[in-house]
Amino acid sequence: MKPFGKKSLAMLLLSCMMLVASGCGSNGAATKEEPAAAAPEAPKTPAKQEEPVKVVWWHSMSGDVGKAAQQLVDEFNAEHKDIVVKAEYQGKYDESLNKLKASLGSDSGPTMIQVYEIGSRFMIDSKAITPVQQFIDAEKYDTSSLEPNILNYYTFDNKLYSMPFNTSNPILYYNKDAFKAAGLDPEKPPATYEEVAEAAKKLTKPGQAGGSFAIYGWFMEQLFANQGAELVDNGNGRTQPANTSLLNSDAGVKTLDWWKKMIDDKTMLNLGRKTDDTSKAFAAGQIAMTLDSTASLRSIVKSAEGKFEVGTGFLPKADAGVKGGVIVGGASNWILNNRPEAEQKAAWEFIKFLAEPKSQAEWHINTGYFPITQKAYDEQTVKENMTKYPQFQTAVDQLHQTTPSLATQGAVMGVFPEARQLTETAIEEVLNNKKSSTQALEDAAKAITSKIQEYNKTVSK
Amino acid sequence: MEKDISIATPLPREASRSTSAASLRTSRWKERSLAYFFLAPSLILFGIFLFYPLLKSIYLSLYLTDPQGRVASFVGLDNFKNVLTSEIFYNSLLITVKFILLTVPTGVAVALLLAAISIPKLKLTKLFQFFFSLPMAISVGTGSVIWMVLYHPTLSILNYGLSLLGISPIAWLTDPKWALPSIALMTVWLNLGFNYIVMLSGMQSVPEDLYESARMDGSGPFRTFFRITIPLISPSLFFISVVSMISAFQSFAQINILTKGGPMNSTDVLVYNIYQDAFINYRFGIGSAQALILFVLITLLTIVQFKFGERKVHYQ
Repeated sequence: MKPFGKKSLAMLLLSCMMLVASGCGSNGAATKEEPAAAAPEAPKTPAKQEEPVKVVWWHSMSGDVGKAAQQLVDEFNAEHKDIVVKAEYQGKYDESLNKLKASLGSDSGPTMIQVYEIGSRFMIDSKAITPVQQFIDAEKYDTSSLEPNILNYYTFDNKLYSMPFNTSNPILYYNKDAFKAAGLDPEKPPATYEEVAEAAKKLTKPGQAGGSFAIYGWFMEQLFANQGAELVDNGNGRTQPANTSLLNSDAGVKTLDWWKKMIDDKTMLNLGRKTDDTSKAFAAGQIAMTLDSTASLRSIVKSAEGKFEVGTGFLPKADAGVKGGVIVGGASNWILNNRPEAEQKAAWEFIKFLAEPKSQAEWHINTGYFPITQKAYDEQTVKENMTKYPQFQTAVDQLHQTTPSLATQGAVMGVFPEARQLTETAIEEVLNNKKSSTQALEDAAKAITSKIQEYNKTVSK
Repeated sequence: MEKDISIATPLPREASRSTSAASLRTSRWKERSLAYFFLAPSLILFGIFLFYPLLKSIYLSLYLTDPQGRVASFVGLDNFKNVLTSEIFYNSLLITVKFILLTVPTGVAVALLLAAISIPKLKLTKLFQFFFSLPMAISVGTGSVIWMVLYHPTLSILNYGLSLLGISPIAWLTDPKWALPSIALMTVWLNLGFNYIVMLSGMQSVPEDLYESARMDGSGPFRTFFRITIPLISPSLFFISVVSMISAFQSFAQINILTKGGPMNSTDVLVYNIYQDAFINYRFGIGSAQALILFVLITLLTIVQFKFGERKVHYQ
């Protein structure tokens, strides 16, 4: 083994290193060249670029809804030869927002991201985004046909920071066949807390509970708004950054007492925090009523097909006379400002495409999210769908009947995801007999308030 | 100049002496660098993934971070003060201790029992040994998803089994009383494969002649087991109890997948609490402070285990 002495081994190592080094070098040169070559061309002839602009879109749409989103992306890519949108599922809203937080300050982030409504304050405070208002002003984009209630939610200081994409609100789903069997009118869903409690009592029999609501902070927020109650101070955080949580108000206590009473009567089940689990129980006929987002409409109706008829009603109110309505839930698309301008513009093109009546009509039919533009209702496909699935009408009516106010415009705070967790823990404490409604909500409100104040301290205005 | 020359003349001889010393030095140096060369991969990995993060968390524990996790202001030991005075921390600590008590003794006992009954060479011994060590091949994530289905609030197979026995369904993960035991059960199962293999190999290494002479002396199976097997496999028992204690302290994935610390924070073990503070709410300061406290706790407990537990261990 003389020829393979120390020297030749060293040579071999050296040549390996050189190979690696040269690889690095050429890579570096290539990446350096690219923007330099693209920069002078981009402003002049963006359409004739040989390399299409790549837009990375992080979203949180999974399952059937995810497929519908991918379909929209494919249509856009087919129409636009100069732009390639790459949709990436990044987990649920929380997870995706956390990934974004981790990527801020690096190049690994997306061009645009879908963020749930309660992440809005954080996105604005992060100063990492380009408000879509800039693009709207630059080309005088007409927003008049967009749903005013939805625009209301995403408008802060008279500026639209992000473009709404998928919006939904919670509705009451009920099993019409079970209603008939229990001697209830299947065409008249219960509308108040009292009516729900009565219906639940009548619907309960061995093997079938009256209903079940997932322990989901969003429902609590919606039930607040539905009573015209604000969740945080300073005009629900709209006139000024919020300072205190109002979770322990009458609206909260009333709601939890009602919920708890039904659990105690065993007319309502506690199936945990996941709406996935309540909707499965609903489809299996184990519960006769449930609350869920309109976005689940399509899949709930599908899963009940051949078993029973699904009815939909408005989110129940505390009393018939109470004024209020639902908050626009869902998510909007944000453009990140650390991306090249051409890429941001391309993202804006995609956002405009998503807001078109045709896209929104398709999106609405395939999912149950309602269209963000009123023009979508004129599309033939939407009209046909409404006659085929009249359940879709409920969500739309509920949205249109909502009287705009600070309560229904929705609360704004930077620590919303955390507040939601604390609210959910409070609901659990009440339903499991650990604390009274007043006590649990007071403790949660206190905890949320201290988080809000801590947040306000670390965010420079 | 003169000096230089005077040194220069005797150079050949001096040089020859110094070269022999130098060659010795270089060869020692070579040997040492070779040792470090072989150690380098693990040193680099330890450095990047353990020592650097450790130093960084000490640094972070003295600061407040903004919602994006960037260092915002120096607060000294405030984070530690906050942690040590917060109710949530003690609640988490209590839950962690409960979780350890639920998983470690049962995990060791079940593995011991299974190893004991599958050691005699019978017809299907090999098959049972295979079955009992199977959980080893399942990752925490996969295992959690399997148990999520088993524990499902309405479609649970376990509840179906109970209903056949006339027992009303249990809200495994949604009832705060049951959530922690449910997760503990799942964890015991998950760690069973590893524990079982270690126990089995421990038992297989007990010399056969000891059993033979015990049999000749008229010792029954129970007596043999407690008087001969247990003392002789005490190193394995000790190893398993230390390792499962540490891993119980660090259990995270199954909790993140199955309950996310809920319901009512009843499964909010220390590590999950740290994760929540650091990576969900982006308060790296308080998260790091808690992580360091956990580090100290585990170190102390391990020292205690070695001090007192090891006395009873019999190394052959």
